[in-house]
Amino acid sequence: MFKEYFAIAFRSVVAHKIRALLTTLGVVIGVASVILLMSLGNSARTEAANQIRSIGSNLIYVSISDRQGALPATWLSEIQEKAQISAFSEMVSGTASYQVDGSNVDVSISGVNQYYGFVSNLSMTHGRFLNEFDVDNNLPAVVLGSKIPDLLFPNQGVLGNTLYIKGMPFTVVGIVEERGTNFSGDNDMMIYIPIDYTRTMFPMGGRFKTFYITAESEENIDLTMSRVTSYLSNYLPSSNQYRIFSQSQILGVLDTLMALLTTLLSGIASISLIVGGIGIMNIMLVTVRERTREIGIRKALGARRQQILVQFLIEAVIITTLGGIIGLTVSYIGAQIITSITDFNVVLGWDAVLLSLVFSITIGVIFGIYPAMQASKLEPVEALRFE
Amino acid sequence: MINIQEVTKRYEMGSNIVMALDGITLDIHEGEFVAIVGPSGSGKSTLMNIIGCLDIVTSGTYVLNQIPIQEYDQDELADIRNQQIGFIFQQFNLLPSFTAIENVMMPMTYAKVAKKQRELKAAQLLQTVGLGDRMDHKPTELSGGQQQRVSIARALANDPAIILADEPTGALDSKTGKEVLTLLKTLNSNGKTVIVITHDQEVARFANRVITLKDGRVASDLAKEEVYV
Repeated sequence: MFKEYFAIAFRSVVAHKIRALLTTLGVVIGVASVILLMSLGNSARTEAANQIRSIGSNLIYVSISDRQGALPATWLSEIQEKAQISAFSEMVSGTASYQVDGSNVDVSISGVNQYYGFVSNLSMTHGRFLNEFDVDNNLPAVVLGSKIPDLLFPNQGVLGNTLYIKGMPFTVVGIVEERGTNFSGDNDMMIYIPIDYTRTMFPMGGRFKTFYITAESEENIDLTMSRVTSYLSNYLPSSNQYRIFSQSQILGVLDTLMALLTTLLSGIASISLIVGGIGIMNIMLVTVRERTREIGIRKALGARRQQILVQFLIEAVIITTLGGIIGLTVSYIGAQIITSITDFNVVLGWDAVLLSLVFSITIGVIFGIYPAMQASKLEPVEALRFE
Repeated sequence: MINIQEVTKRYEMGSNIVMALDGITLDIHEGEFVAIVGPSGSGKSTLMNIIGCLDIVTSGTYVLNQIPIQEYDQDELADIRNQQIGFIFQQFNLLPSFTAIENVMMPMTYAKVAKKQRELKAAQLLQTVGLGDRMDHKPTELSGGQQQRVSIARALANDPAIILADEPTGALDSKTGKEVLTLLKTLNSNGKTVIVITHDQEVARFANRVITLKDGRVASDLAKEEVYV
């Protein structure tokens, strides 16, 4: 019998094509914006997580502000011993400016040791990272981020070439694979040199100590962090003086933030779904009024109240489901456009398909039920008299 | 078949109380062709609504085929209309976006008749009323007389015992009106009980019995021979 109701309702929708299509617009916009924003948010989450993971998920980041010089000179080796760390690198950073095509370009200079490449999970496209020999002997070797060669050495060989940093010549020994931008800035605009150079180039940099540690394994991250914390707290009584966090903590915070943002945006977008639903209710009420006579005829011919109710409810649901399908198509096209013009890879999953159908059917039922009830409650005599 | 006892129907319009039916008692038997006549305001439309189970009495009793109608609720009345009564209206009341055959099938849909059977029966009925070649036409593509014949086919869909026609020729010219009445006459001679509500004496001539209403009461109830001597 449901098939019959569906057929009747479908015929009525088809009989009023233009109106039905216009009515779907609200649902189309609502579903499209909710699905698109959710997919965009999810893609952004995946993207961010991938980027952070590429840096190394066992990474622990420590920054210390030691103005009084409370830490002993041997602090680094002491931490290494106490926390049983195998790979770590201190970093002292600064910037240098270069003239490129008449404008200034800032390049981040990071003084690191030979372990930094491992700790930060760097891959090389050309040459090698700084090695123990470079660092121990303070050799003028430099490793470039992926954007630097084209910028500073256009149309020339890069490896073995000379780069002047603060007036000192350095020999390029390697180029790092593209890494993108993250919370520490544009990784591809960085260059890496042995740390002792930066200590002299940027003497102020020494007060703020930054170092990177790789925990032995993911399970050891918390243990390593607590050992480092306990060592630092011996010398630095205020916990404001040092900050220590792991890659997975950053990942967690970022993920929570992104999820919140996605929910918020989807929430705002779903207002348009409600507006669309009210539009449906409005049109259905007009439809019921216009078709009072039809309802009267159907009742005279033997339609029960429930049959009229179901007919009009199904009509509303057909209209909103149609809107949901169109909305899904629109968001699919939108996703393709966003993917092609930005770095985001927006993917509509099956959950989006399912969700848009659930949304649109629910909207149809919620906002269709009142007009359908109005229709079913009409008295046959009154309805037949309606002109 | 139809037994109406002391039926009243009262409408309240604000402070105005209108007694549309004021104590009507009558019996209609199977196979009769009855015309209910009277000037406008006489209560004939109200009586038709009561007989057609579209409306309920204020007081009195209405028994249709042993069913005490006043004891039934809206949905049960819908079933009774569906099964027992075939309606023919002055304005045809066909659904404009559906074809002739779809209109005829509608009462069978509500009777939950299978689709194949519905199509067969509807086609058969349209053949009977002479519209075998117009089945897929929409009402707007048919003349008034053709539309009324579609609605007669629809009235016959569930084989009701009673055909209830409200001014069936009111929207037709006299020639097509006669054709429609002849069709009703044929149905009557095939055993259907036909009740026609009309203000037109010419229409009433086709009936075997003429009930005249005035001010909500039965003014006269005469056999054809008595009316047109």
